Amino acid sequence: MISRLLKAASVAALLSTSAFAADTDWNERFKEILGKSITFHTAEGHGQVPAYAAYLADQLKAGGFAAEDIHILPHGETAALVVRYRGDGSAAKKPILLAAHMDVVEAKREDWERDPFTMVEENGYLFGRGIVDNKFGVTLLVTTFLRLKAEGYVPNRDLVIAFSGDEESSMVTTKAIANDHRDLTDAEFVLNADAGGGTIGEDGKVLSYSLQAAEKTYATFHLTVTDPGGHSSRPTGSNAIYRLAKALTAIENYSFPVNTNDITLGFFKAQGPLTGGELGAAMTAFAKDPSDKKAVATLRKQASYVGVTGTTCVATMLTGGHAENALPQSATATVNCRIFPGEGVALTQERLQKAVNDDRVVFTQRGESTESPASPLRDDIMTAVTDAVHANFPGLPIIPAMSPGATDGMHYRAAGMPTYGVEAIYMKNSDGFSHGLNERVPVATIPVAIDQMYRVLTTLTK
Amino acid sequence: MYKSLMHTAAVAALLIGGSAHAASDADIAKTREILGTAVSFETSKGLGNVPKLAAYLAGELKKGGFTDEDIAIIPMGETAGMIVRYKGDGSSGKKGIGFAAHMDVVEADPKDWEREPFTMVEEDGYLFGRGVLDCKFGVSTLVATFLKLKAEGFVPTRDLVLVFTGDEESGMETTKALSYDYHDKIDIEYILNSDAGGAALAPDGTPVAYAIQAAEKTYASFEMTVTNPGGHSSRPRKDNAIYDLATALKKIEAFEFPAEVNEITTRYFATLGPIVGGETGAAMTAFAKNPKDKKALGILRASPEYVGTTGTTCIATMLKGGHAENALPQAATATINCRIFPGTKAEETLATLKGVVGNDAIEWKLLGDGTASPASPLRDDVVDAVTASVHAAYPGLTILPQMESGGTDGKHYRASGWPTYGISGIYMKMSDMFAHGLNERLPVATIPLALDHWHHLMTNLGSQK
Repeated sequence: MISRLLKAASVAALLSTSAFAADTDWNERFKEILGKSITFHTAEGHGQVPAYAAYLADQLKAGGFAAEDIHILPHGETAALVVRYRGDGSAAKKPILLAAHMDVVEAKREDWERDPFTMVEENGYLFGRGIVDNKFGVTLLVTTFLRLKAEGYVPNRDLVIAFSGDEESSMVTTKAIANDHRDLTDAEFVLNADAGGGTIGEDGKVLSYSLQAAEKTYATFHLTVTDPGGHSSRPTGSNAIYRLAKALTAIENYSFPVNTNDITLGFFKAQGPLTGGELGAAMTAFAKDPSDKKAVATLRKQASYVGVTGTTCVATMLTGGHAENALPQSATATVNCRIFPGEGVALTQERLQKAVNDDRVVFTQRGESTESPASPLRDDIMTAVTDAVHANFPGLPIIPAMSPGATDGMHYRAAGMPTYGVEAIYMKNSDGFSHGLNERVPVATIPVAIDQMYRVLTTLTK
Repeated sequence: MYKSLMHTAAVAALLIGGSAHAASDADIAKTREILGTAVSFETSKGLGNVPKLAAYLAGELKKGGFTDEDIAIIPMGETAGMIVRYKGDGSSGKKGIGFAAHMDVVEADPKDWEREPFTMVEEDGYLFGRGVLDCKFGVSTLVATFLKLKAEGFVPTRDLVLVFTGDEESGMETTKALSYDYHDKIDIEYILNSDAGGAALAPDGTPVAYAIQAAEKTYASFEMTVTNPGGHSSRPRKDNAIYDLATALKKIEAFEFPAEVNEITTRYFATLGPIVGGETGAAMTAFAKNPKDKKALGILRASPEYVGTTGTTCIATMLKGGHAENALPQAATATINCRIFPGTKAEETLATLKGVVGNDAIEWKLLGDGTASPASPLRDDVVDAVTASVHAAYPGLTILPQMESGGTDGKHYRASGWPTYGISGIYMKMSDMFAHGLNERLPVATIPLALDHWHHLMTNLGSQK
């Protein structure tokens, strides 16, 4: 899941693009690897991730990586790939883990205008399933490894690629990378090429770059009311649907407490001036004083920002009754929550139950949740990313971001490795078709991405 | 749809068993033969077997002396309606009397039944089989009574007409055809329906009361739907289809339709009050005297047995909404099932609900046709004849006019201008009531009672000048 900042900043950036520093050869090599990557149908259940991993491993071996530094870790029909770029150890620090995922969301040929598993270039865009999410990130990290190796670069600490193979489904390989294979993957922190990125306005101006440093916890509850039911011609005082309706209204009227962390405060502080107007002023005011009720009210009216001010829970599905002429024997609502880091699933359920205040409404959690802490905004990383971004877009605002979930990052963070989403795609929100039909990426972002990732990695390992 | 008295009167009736039956062993045997054969035709929707059952019945009637011109089978798709005329001498100068039943049954899956549902089986004083009660018992006892009267050489003073439908449990297309297209051809004054009414027995077998179903509430279901642009659930917008629907549902829950009465419900409560007794009985008596008695209304409306007899009811029965756990709902729909007091149209009830909800963004849809039917006047001739018939078996048994929550053929008959009275010949315990369900059964002992019932009624009403 590529998570991008969704906003419509009204301020035009001051910049025009500078000259790109990337070598055109690497630009071509990138497109070659990306094109080949798209041909592997790595949606869940197709068993193509190991073949894709083997292809990537071959490219890396050909580029000078030793076989012993490349590990394909099979898990069922999929696999993870771990590749170590050995440093000289002069930094005396743990490695940096570089994350992306090799699997994609399913795509059906008949639904797409073009074959989703053949990369096609048209009108300045590359099309294909995974072209953004996340084969761009995979390709970017592999290409950067090849380039650094070709240049004879020796980092002062190890760099370790960790590609998962089921990020879009169960994340079993992610959990294995984060926990079971720690001998191969232990790192001081993780740079995730599946989150963060640059936003381009509809007028083509680059507006900002966001760095993802936290994810909310995804949790879904079922609220169920049961009742003996009966014939609808004999209505009684109790009705499961009415009881559930009352609970839903209570949830509608409940506001979770305001919560903040360094990332959300940094986000609003940076975003306020870009947004401007009443909303921008509310962001600035909130960043200064999160107890500012007026600012909170203004932000919480906005679908794009309510989730940055605290936990949100919203009813998403309903089902109830079994026949038009029978009193319902049960009624169930699905409530989907995005929990602010640190609050946890248990406390969220407790708050909802208190708001509903009806023992006959039974709460059950659907699936499991992984709670992950926010990652501290480390100066070294912020500086490295800012400098790399500014090399192409001088003065571009760098905005810390907390995404509503859920990338591989949640497992890395939960496993104690702070994680930073530093994907280097610059695109318009209107070009965002990840998970959807006709997923595409602007060709023009490739040299920028190659340059930016190169700078980030070399800055952090010199 | 067979409906019977649905109440649990606390008071045992004072009566002792009935008199000797007029029906002979041969009459009972013939009825059982017809019933068993009728059950063997699997007349569930879509199987095309109703015309075969109708042809079989026509054959029996012809053997009994009815002519081709007395019998009309009216095919409708895979099913059929049937009209059988027992010609009178016209000496009463009145239009005929209709006797109604339906030939189709609710589906029965043999896998679910203990016994083969389409083979009539007798066990422990019961006959088992799909339709053995609903409504092939009505079909068989009416046909058997026609045959007996013909054999006896009875000539009524007005025509007696069997009116049998073939899809009462589904689309009622045959019912509508008979009611509206063949209305003048059938040419009757009113209908006695074997598919409603009847006597309820206490658990010890003593009859509690005999119900005449004289009105049906209108059955109407409405779907109310809230739509919304939706979006991703991580970006909750202020408006939400599910929350808007919940608000509407709470308003409907809080709303009470006004108290309504008619001749039938007034007599129902006036009659039942002393039988039921206690606080509820007192409330019935009070409500029958003064429908504006709020305390009495409150007591009756607290009871699922009686709330529907005090006015229109509408209740939420189904819910659906949303399409993914992580997406804001684009639509949320609730089904509201209404039982509308006779005299109010479904459209008027819909308007009331819309006003209660007060949200113009909600889309409403009527499911089905919501046919409204007027209450049938409690005619003295009919009530007296039914009372005489019932009292011939059980002297003094309480006769209780009844308004049901709806859905027999009677709604179309009434809507077409034929007053209709549900006066089944069934005497049974509520605990034996398995119509529509598994192991549908009929107490064997009710066969002579029903035969006497119809014979008494047809000769009585058919002899009046």
